[in-house]
Amino acid sequence: MNFDLGPDQRDAAGGARDFYRGSASPAAARAALEGGPVEPGHEALAGIGYLGITVPESAGGAGGSLLDLAVVAEQGGAVLAGPSLVTAARAAVLLAEHPDLAAQLADGSAAFAVLDGPVTGSAPSIDAAGATLFLGLDDGALVVGEGEATPGRPLDATRGLAGVRLTSRRVLAEDAGALWARARQVAAVVLAAEDLGAADAAVQLAVDYAKEREAFGRRIGSYQAVKHMLVDAWVGVDQLRSLVWWAAWAADAAPDELPLAASAAKAHAAEVLERAAETCVQVHGGIGYTWEHDAHLYWRRAKVDRLLLGDAAEHLDAVARLAVAGALG
Amino acid sequence: MDFDDTPEEADFRAGVRKTLEEHAGELLHAGAGEDVVDARTHEAEMRRTQRVLHEAGLIGITWPREYGGQGGTLVQQAIVQQELARAGVPPLVNHIGLGMCGPTVIAHGSDEQRSRYLPRLLRADDVWCQLFSEPASGSDLAALRTTAVRDGDDWVVNGQKVWTTLAHVADFGILLTRTDPEKPKHAGLTMFVVDVHAPGVTVRPLRQMVGSAGFNEVFFDDVRIPDAERLGEPGEGWRVALTTLMNERVAIGGAGSDLGLPVETLAAHARERLPRLDPERQVLARQAVGRAVVAALATRYTGYRRFTVLSQGGLPGPEASAGKLAGTAAAKLVADAGVRLLGDDAVYAATADGDDTWQRTQGYVPGLAIAGGTDQVLRNILGERVLGLPPEPRLDKDPGGRR
Repeated sequence: MNFDLGPDQRDAAGGARDFYRGSASPAAARAALEGGPVEPGHEALAGIGYLGITVPESAGGAGGSLLDLAVVAEQGGAVLAGPSLVTAARAAVLLAEHPDLAAQLADGSAAFAVLDGPVTGSAPSIDAAGATLFLGLDDGALVVGEGEATPGRPLDATRGLAGVRLTSRRVLAEDAGALWARARQVAAVVLAAEDLGAADAAVQLAVDYAKEREAFGRRIGSYQAVKHMLVDAWVGVDQLRSLVWWAAWAADAAPDELPLAASAAKAHAAEVLERAAETCVQVHGGIGYTWEHDAHLYWRRAKVDRLLLGDAAEHLDAVARLAVAGALG
Repeated sequence: MDFDDTPEEADFRAGVRKTLEEHAGELLHAGAGEDVVDARTHEAEMRRTQRVLHEAGLIGITWPREYGGQGGTLVQQAIVQQELARAGVPPLVNHIGLGMCGPTVIAHGSDEQRSRYLPRLLRADDVWCQLFSEPASGSDLAALRTTAVRDGDDWVVNGQKVWTTLAHVADFGILLTRTDPEKPKHAGLTMFVVDVHAPGVTVRPLRQMVGSAGFNEVFFDDVRIPDAERLGEPGEGWRVALTTLMNERVAIGGAGSDLGLPVETLAAHARERLPRLDPERQVLARQAVGRAVVAALATRYTGYRRFTVLSQGGLPGPEASAGKLAGTAAAKLVADAGVRLLGDDAVYAATADGDDTWQRTQGYVPGLAIAGGTDQVLRNILGERVLGLPPEPRLDKDPGGRR
């Protein structure tokens, strides 16, 4: 058994950490709430090749695995980067038989978004606000087209959420239900990976503060009430990492396990990030409730992500149905 | 990344599996969830099972060959554990001796003690127990009050131990005592090997909250222990005990096995029971089952990451405590979902046809959250040794652990 990242993946994660830390930040996420740009932005992500990690080399991508992409996505999540690699991974699955479009995904010449819900008026969909081309499921067929995006007032501006009505559509594949479902599972894994990074960062922020801040003559991290909260949040993050790695690995190496692993990871991610972000605010006390502090930016990400691509209730139900049907073996 | 054995591990596993198949007829087998602590009724069969396994080379995998061990690795030990579980062999009668007492004797005993005790422990000729906790010192172990006073070539022991698993069938124990009440609490302790059948030792089974008696209180009234049975130097008992506790963490923090009933058992139970519930209740029951499965899988796959560290030659660190903490939480969710699926039978101690599998595992969970480090002690360990948070100020540094 070797349930660990390989040296290349560790290097890729290190490179992604440097890239994302240099090009995005919670401060940028705060500025985005007041009309600033989402960082690092579509162009920068295309430039460094992150939009094409899982696009085949023949279509101009890196031909990597979903695990290769997930370790990069985790680093993006840590600094609340946008656009999300969820879209890149999901679109790469949907465009597997369309190398021309996949090439546009990888080189960034088109900004894709994948629509959840009906294409005549979609649910709020990730990165739809800045997209130029939309992929959707229309009466069982995979379609691509242009559309009109209507963003709501953002709770987390880095997610680029908008409802979309397609104004043109071209059928890419009939009977695309199974492909669509697999792409959505892959998307759930990447969202869980970004949540892993965000949760890890939120816990670290809170731990660092608990080591410095004093109250009643002691550092607050010495109080068991505070310490145990932080430990519970950390244990959640440590466990989420295991589910994210398993699910990302399964996407390529054990596709039969992907539905169970993806739903387990997404359900856990929703709750782990929420707990990490809420713990981060609580441990900081009053300063953690201010606009200028970063805690609320992780909290915003948590409150939005937990509901995207199916909430915990939906995924727990899926896990139970799969387990009852024999998916545990 | 992969979940496969290396070629060497696969060979080893195949050998273990073949050995277990060859000896299947001579081994005790347990149904899923059978109460593992109730050793009394099966004592002779359990001792025989361990002896058979020892003769087949599957006991004491990591122990030195000169004392009857196999001189193997932690990974090989974990593989044997997995294969024993797979074959339905219940936990070994000497699991305390193999997991904790033996390694302590190996690390701190004299050559004479090692030769005398270890081969018999491996064969289950002697069963061992760990005499640590006392009525006034559980989590705060170093506050213990059982005394040992030097008298010629002997030490004379007085006091009481409690929560002692297996003492009612045990032949020997490792015993932590206070030998110098004037020293600060951790510095006045000394460890011994004690003969549980010696005059002055009284073992009284304690009935647990679920009704059965798996552990005991043990009284010491002027019990004489020869100085040659000391483990480590006088006053070094705490350091010796840490060896035991570190081995306990290795034993419990294991490689991805479920602490309560396996989650596959819950899935099979749900397959049978879900259709019998009202449709509205089915929705809620699936939420509970899904939550339990996610918690169990998260713990299991995190265990695989720890196993990978062992596989690459690493040692378990303090983060192994997270495995027990999370495993306990998962076991509670699995047990709760299983009980709820019973419908009206859930309020009884067994179903109408006498099956108490789920009620018994439900009753096992509160003990899990206490034994081998309470949830709260584990959180302190993780907070201080993994996250680097400051410890609480201590009020117990006075001699003998008194305040």
